[in-house]
Amino acid sequence: MPPRTAKVTITYCAECGYEPMTLALAGALMNAFTHRLSAIELIPWYEGSFEVSVGGKLVHSMYRDGGFPEHQTIIDAVTAHLAGRDVPPPSQPE
Amino acid sequence: MAVTRERFESGMTYDEYKAQMNRNKEQFEANEHGVVVDPGDLAAFTGLPRPLNVLVLGEDWCGDVIANFPVIGRLAPDSGKLNLRCFLRDQHPDIMDQYLKDGRFRSIPVFVFFDDDMHEIGRFVERPDCVTALRDEKRKALSAEHPEFGLPDTPIAELPEDVRVKYQAAMAEIRAEMVAFANKAVIEELRAIVERGA
Repeated sequence: MPPRTAKVTITYCAECGYEPMTLALAGALMNAFTHRLSAIELIPWYEGSFEVSVGGKLVHSMYRDGGFPEHQTIIDAVTAHLAGRDVPPPSQPE
Repeated sequence: MAVTRERFESGMTYDEYKAQMNRNKEQFEANEHGVVVDPGDLAAFTGLPRPLNVLVLGEDWCGDVIANFPVIGRLAPDSGKLNLRCFLRDQHPDIMDQYLKDGRFRSIPVFVFFDDDMHEIGRFVERPDCVTALRDEKRKALSAEHPEFGLPDTPIAELPEDVRVKYQAAMAEIRAEMVAFANKAVIEELRAIVERGA
């Protein structure tokens, strides 16, 4: 059976200057997980959104949790997903 | 620390701001061309006893700057009474941090109106509240008409890509439909500021 992989989706406001944060998070995940990621999906959206889903489960939302997530929070969520564990609770607001 | 006249004068003119834009310039200029100013509104600015200095904070990637800066960009030459100087938000955090939205957020655009002695008479931040409210109302109506788009707070990533593309197109249509309303709301808010200070 092939090893478990993780798809990470980052929805970011494309008119809010969030590109650097989005790309920094994507880069951190690429470095941390290489082939353990099946895909990183970047979705340009509106109105201040910044949401990160791991394996289809929302792990961070700017609307819900405030601010941008710490990279380690998302790395922990991906690690948990890869291990078949529940994804950790949302990060604290910055 | 108050903005000094010297600091104000160091800002870019409106044309210099446009010249340094790296993105969205075409949309910005199209928006400027599309602004319609009622004669009554224009008279409120033209009739000012003295020109006002207006400090602008903006960035070329910001949707609200692209939408709203062209409005004052048209009012300035049309009235001859608004002296604009523009600063890039991320290069001037000390100025930005004097005009945070709700005391917390570095929202842009910011238009700060000063009299000739550089006393602030009022400010505009980001967008009018009525524009935000109408946008929310229309988004909720869109979700009600199109259950496939999910609830307004459904994570976008949960939507299939083909649905998301339709949703995105619908949102763009809402924005386009709201341009006249939004521009008028901006003009009214700016007019209220200058009339308070006159």
